[in-house]
Amino acid sequence: MGADNAIPSGQLVPLRTKDEVRASLETHRVYVVEIPARFANTVKDVIQAAIPGFKTAEISHLRRVVQFKYLPAHLQKQFYPPARLQRGDEDTSPISLSPCSTPLPPSPTGDVEIIEEANTEDEDIVRFFVLCPTRFIQHAELFALLRRNPPFTNIPVPPKLLYVTVPALAPTSAEQATMWSETYWPIAYKNTNPYGPHPSLVLRNTIEIESEVHKWLAVAAEAGSEIAALGLGEKIGCVVVDRTRGTSEVIAVAGDCRWRSPSGATEAHLGRGNVMAHSVQRAIAMVAKKRLRMAGADPALLDRSLFCDIPLTDVEKPYWETENIPASGYLCVDLDIYMTHEPCVMCSMAILHSRFRRCIFGTRMPLTGGMTADTIGTLANPGKGLQHGMFWRPSELNWKFLAWEWQSKEKDAEASVKDILHV
Amino acid sequence: MNPEEKVYHERFMREAIAMAELALKSDETPVGCVFVKGGEVIGRGMNETNRTLNGTRHAEFVALAGILSTMPISTLKETDLYVTVEPCVMCASMLRQYGIRAVYFGCWNERFGGTGGVLNIHSDPSVDKPYPVHGGIFREEAIMLLRKFYVQENEKAPEPKQKKTRELKTEILPMDIHAPKSTPSPSLV
Ligand SMILES: [Zn+2]
Ligand SMILES: [Zn+2]
Repeated sequence: MGADNAIPSGQLVPLRTKDEVRASLETHRVYVVEIPARFANTVKDVIQAAIPGFKTAEISHLRRVVQFKYLPAHLQKQFYPPARLQRGDEDTSPISLSPCSTPLPPSPTGDVEIIEEANTEDEDIVRFFVLCPTRFIQHAELFALLRRNPPFTNIPVPPKLLYVTVPALAPTSAEQATMWSETYWPIAYKNTNPYGPHPSLVLRNTIEIESEVHKWLAVAAEAGSEIAALGLGEKIGCVVVDRTRGTSEVIAVAGDCRWRSPSGATEAHLGRGNVMAHSVQRAIAMVAKKRLRMAGADPALLDRSLFCDIPLTDVEKPYWETENIPASGYLCVDLDIYMTHEPCVMCSMAILHSRFRRCIFGTRMPLTGGMTADTIGTLANPGKGLQHGMFWRPSELNWKFLAWEWQSKEKDAEASVKDILHV
Repeated sequence: MNPEEKVYHERFMREAIAMAELALKSDETPVGCVFVKGGEVIGRGMNETNRTLNGTRHAEFVALAGILSTMPISTLKETDLYVTVEPCVMCASMLRQYGIRAVYFGCWNERFGGTGGVLNIHSDPSVDKPYPVHGGIFREEAIMLLRKFYVQENEKAPEPKQKKTRELKTEILPMDIHAPKSTPSPSLV
């Protein structure tokens, strides 16, 4: 279990935020109609005038005008054959398609806009045009509206309204845009993420910490093992690391201490134990006490034995004794926390209160964890999760930070604590 | 809540306010609490985040660290909390893990409230038993204390001393403290 000879075999996976999960799950239906390409702008204006409440920004992640050949396979099958619409009235003024309403193949990067040359032949090829989400207008009303406007005033064929299920919100990555283009509708990806940290920020941080994750998680596990061996806590631990000065400096290491009595003895493992002595709470308290000490104040100020914030094991002690924290610092700003398991709701909020910079954990706790937003769960608890996603809820909570899970290939950690335990 | 109950709860909320006033005198965010079992106060606490440099030293933690040093955890199943400001998400989760019986509070916390202000940690799906909450007892008094603190801290900082320290001291701003937009039913739900 030593930190030195362990071979990293796993993957650092950024957690999805609560809004990202919502964005990836929410779909709704839109109306699509077949029209000749050159009538795209005309139809667009008709819809806009008739449904003022509908803002096109809502569907800006969808390619508005799409050729048959770029539709996903299931829609090609469903809409086959594409209609051969006759040309409309010759006196209609020529239109130029704006870049955003140009049919595009789903490109892998998605952020390159290509303006398609509109040649005369192309203009008569039928296009699939996204009208609006179905909640804005009844089918019959929309049908009548299209019927009394070009091109349907000029061609004998009535409008054929199609229903298509599409993602309600914009994609948060290029991969997601590509996947959606294949499963729902051609998608535009603008290389931004309105629902979480920008992908480039996540990538930069992932690269920065990747090589050390295994090492710190091993120290965290060691802290859990040592404290469990003393009978004072569960096999849970965490490590607080400062990476602001180029190299990594361990500020505090703490194991779980829920079974330690106020006098320091081992208590019977009944109920939840001392909740305030979860490893995250202990580590945060150690950081605070080191700051007090560095500032020349008494680190034992207002201390209480139930906080269990003195070092208790061989792995905790040396880091507690090292004077390596600036006295001028503020809470846990700029510090990273590595945990053997996903922290409980209380500890997730404690991390937030302490303004940590980054949070990395080993094993998900779908029944008690506060960090994950999805319901992927674990082998033992598939499809489960509290969905709090507390690391990134900027519109509700007053701090946000980056969070990852370490997906180990070893998978022995999962069995180390009971699934109903609060970490 | 009938008049008799009101008198009972207000009596303990007054004790919580006294703790918040003590916090204000100690240069701490004025949040105070008492834990009550069988009509008796069994523990008191106030915010200690500024003096300990620890952002988790909320009144509820401080009070429980005292109580549980002499009483078993099972005591809390028959114990109610009275706190001047709605418990934050962290404290709301802690109280549920410990099995608190009920929580009574003064004003809501729109910044990080865990029992209705922002999240509903007291009643959300969880492996722990939910607990009832009742907010709004001496709400104005609780808000007034936070305002006083805000003014006091601003007056005390003529020169822009350590910005970060001040940031912590005013962690709950008066404008964040008000009833939630959708006011929960006043009953014990
Ligand atoms: Zn915890
Ligand atoms: Zn709190």
